[in-house]
Amino acid sequence: MVILRMEGIRKAFGGVPALDGVHFELHPNEIHGLLGGNGAGKTTLMNILFGLYRMDSGDVFLHSKKISISAPRDAIAQRINMVHQHFLQVDSFTVLENILMGAPLKESLTMRFGEEEKKIAAIQKRFGLEIDLGATLGDLPMGTRQKVEILKALYRGVEILILDEPTTNLTPQEVDALFLSLREMVKEGLSIVFITHKLREVLSVCDRITVLRNGRNVTTLRKGEAPEEEFVRGMVGEEMNLEKSILFSGIRESRAAPLPGGEALLKLEGAGLRTADGLQRLKELSFEVRPGEIFGVAGVAGNGQTELAELVLGLQPPTAGRVLVSGRDVRERTTAQLLGEDVAYIPEDRLHDGFLPKANIAQNLILGAQRSRPYSNGWLIDWKTVFASAQEMIAQYHIKTAGPGEVGGNLSGGNIQRVMIARAFSREAPLLVAHNPTRGLDIPSMDFVYSKFLERKAAGRASLLISEDLDELLLLCDRIGVIYKGEILGILPREKFEKYAIGQLMSGVRREA
Amino acid sequence: MDAILVSIVAYAKLILLSMVPFVLAGQGTMLGGRTGVFNVAQEGIMLVGASVGFLVSYLSGSIVLGMAAAMAAGALFGLALAYFTTHLKMDQFVIGLALFFIGVGLSTLLPKLIIGVTLTPPLVPTLKDLPVPLLSKIPLLGEIFFNQNVLVYVSILVSVALWWYLYRTKLGLELRSVGENPQAADSLGINVTRARYWSAIIGGMMIGLAGAYLPMVYTGTFTEGMVKGRGWLAIALTFFGGWKPLTILYGAAFFATIEVLAYRVQVVGTGIPYQFLLMLPYLATIVVMILTFGKTRAPAFLGQNYDRERRAL
Ligand SMILES: Nc1ncnc2c1ncn2[C@@H]1O[C@H](COP(=O)(O)OP(=O)(O)OP(=O)(O)O)[C@@H](O)[C@H]1O
Ligand SMILES: [Mg+2]
Repeated sequence: MVILRMEGIRKAFGGVPALDGVHFELHPNEIHGLLGGNGAGKTTLMNILFGLYRMDSGDVFLHSKKISISAPRDAIAQRINMVHQHFLQVDSFTVLENILMGAPLKESLTMRFGEEEKKIAAIQKRFGLEIDLGATLGDLPMGTRQKVEILKALYRGVEILILDEPTTNLTPQEVDALFLSLREMVKEGLSIVFITHKLREVLSVCDRITVLRNGRNVTTLRKGEAPEEEFVRGMVGEEMNLEKSILFSGIRESRAAPLPGGEALLKLEGAGLRTADGLQRLKELSFEVRPGEIFGVAGVAGNGQTELAELVLGLQPPTAGRVLVSGRDVRERTTAQLLGEDVAYIPEDRLHDGFLPKANIAQNLILGAQRSRPYSNGWLIDWKTVFASAQEMIAQYHIKTAGPGEVGGNLSGGNIQRVMIARAFSREAPLLVAHNPTRGLDIPSMDFVYSKFLERKAAGRASLLISEDLDELLLLCDRIGVIYKGEILGILPREKFEKYAIGQLMSGVRREA
Repeated sequence: MDAILVSIVAYAKLILLSMVPFVLAGQGTMLGGRTGVFNVAQEGIMLVGASVGFLVSYLSGSIVLGMAAAMAAGALFGLALAYFTTHLKMDQFVIGLALFFIGVGLSTLLPKLIIGVTLTPPLVPTLKDLPVPLLSKIPLLGEIFFNQNVLVYVSILVSVALWWYLYRTKLGLELRSVGENPQAADSLGINVTRARYWSAIIGGMMIGLAGAYLPMVYTGTFTEGMVKGRGWLAIALTFFGGWKPLTILYGAAFFATIEVLAYRVQVVGTGIPYQFLLMLPYLATIVVMILTFGKTRAPAFLGQNYDRERRAL
């Protein structure tokens, strides 16, 4: 029995094929993993099903009946809904308005939402999606916005739910809660398409997987029928050498290198941050990152990580203490100067803080360094050099694009991340501030980023790695500081790394001295 | 004492009267902008509204028909703007300027073609005051607020109705969402194209009517360039009104006040050069823009065109 069948789907963007005759089948009551590297065409395929993209050719059958979907409203009418990889939300509206927009309302002339709010509250309770419905969306952290996106889809009542990388911004606990709810929904008759790059999620939640590569089907596997290795191989692709990879072999696991010496490239001396309305965002942070060190900051999202990054970048001046970059107070320089000289930055929110969707790839690749050599002589940008080095970076960092002149926003989510990675690492800056740098990357790319971190280390550069992925931190870092409610509760050296202890600190439990 | 009171009432009444073109044009601009369609052809559309409104009233003898014709003409301009930008995805600013020039040209061409050159200007009867029963008997306030021509009432009621529509109805919420993030609206099943067409068309209608007000209330005839920059001011008004109907209404009162003052000063003759007085509304605009800077926001998608398949929005 098949609930949905997509057949021979083709789609090209400006002559470049993104999907080339793809088949896809969804069974009732299953969670179907849709996998493949960055730019493989996963989002494109699901956007076609949801009516956001129009296919060039192919057929879609729902309950064995051919259907034509020419706009999202057709998909919604067929009870298909989608959680988008890059959230589609109105920043200036409240959470409630974002959820109810476009849905039928009981009182459509008063904007009194009593009835609807009750329904939302019930869904929230059931699936553990606690969000303040009255909050303005633009003020919310990424994790909460992700939950809004999920809530939006659930509220509409669906038969087929498409989840495009829904867990990238959730904490592990939230992911577990989501999976429990997914299981329950499936029992109640839903079918789910689940796009992810995380192995653990695939192995724990998917009943079947379909793997795409370069817009074509590679394989479809059913759990239990195929050995786990085949699942893994399907996810990482044929080329990746698992033995040599940092991710799978855990090369660094055993090596507890002596802490490098030298003058700290980043030093925080009792740095604090208090907002204008008196909220203490960061409290008495003191630590240093030395040349050749990878210093990790672990913590549940929203505990001050973003503020910490902004402090180091000079985006917000500390309200107490000092922050020194290469021995100089950050307040001495503007953020532009810092970025041009000593610091490279990978921000958390790629679409808002790190990327210009309307600018081309080359422009995005030099963003922040546009005033420094070799791209500029201080007055004019030397576009020839920029394009040449963009070409190089595209090749080196495997950015899937038509070329340096392509509009940045056309890239797939993971490829936008690769642009930011390429920009930050190619700067060879003494200090790198990276906030969730591997978010949305496929496994081989993640591994590649890890090797880049180790390269920096070998070259004696310092990295501040702020991440919500504990495994990533344990793998790479020399020391890990755990942040909780704006405070560093403890700093552990590599030989003391222990998942459980760090997890406790992350939830605010201080260890006995 | 009494004399002062009488002249204050007269001023207040005059301000309300002169507010109408600003209100209607401002709200029309706002409505289109709320779906991202940024109209910059107000000056041209108002001229066409004035010209067509005058001609039709003159030929038919019916001022109501004249107003309807002005609105229809404005609607056509709105439709053209929506078609070129939403359908053909052409640059809104360029199309808007083109429509402005077409409007200016048409507004002088039509009377020449239809009436020809006459020695004495052809006249239409101007709109009469329409006292509201009972309410107009209230001392002072009655005279100011309830003894006006019908379009004064209409423009205020339209403003309030628009506020209610935008902030208290489901359709209004959806309309606003289109101007903020059309892709989000689209993904929730809201018809972006339809919203943009309707808001541009109805917005154009209101701007056309704003133009027709000038011959029908002020002069009784059409003269070349009679809008005198009110269309451009309407754009500024919409911006510092934060694209909100009620703030636009207050802002319109502000512009009307300056207009009335400048006119009075001119009549009284204080030796202030006439050209300077003409500049006054624009100077005031800049001052107000500075004062409100950063406090108002425009729809996030203002002036942009939506293409579902393009990610780079
Ligand atoms: N609107 C668009 N305009 C132009 N090119 C596009 C557009 N959408 C997708 N593409 C291209 O199609 C290809 C597939 O993109 P898609 O977003 O489907 O990848 P994906 O599998 O979802 O990757 P990721 O894991 O990085 O999200 C990419 O090369 C991308 O550049
Ligand atoms: Mg994707």
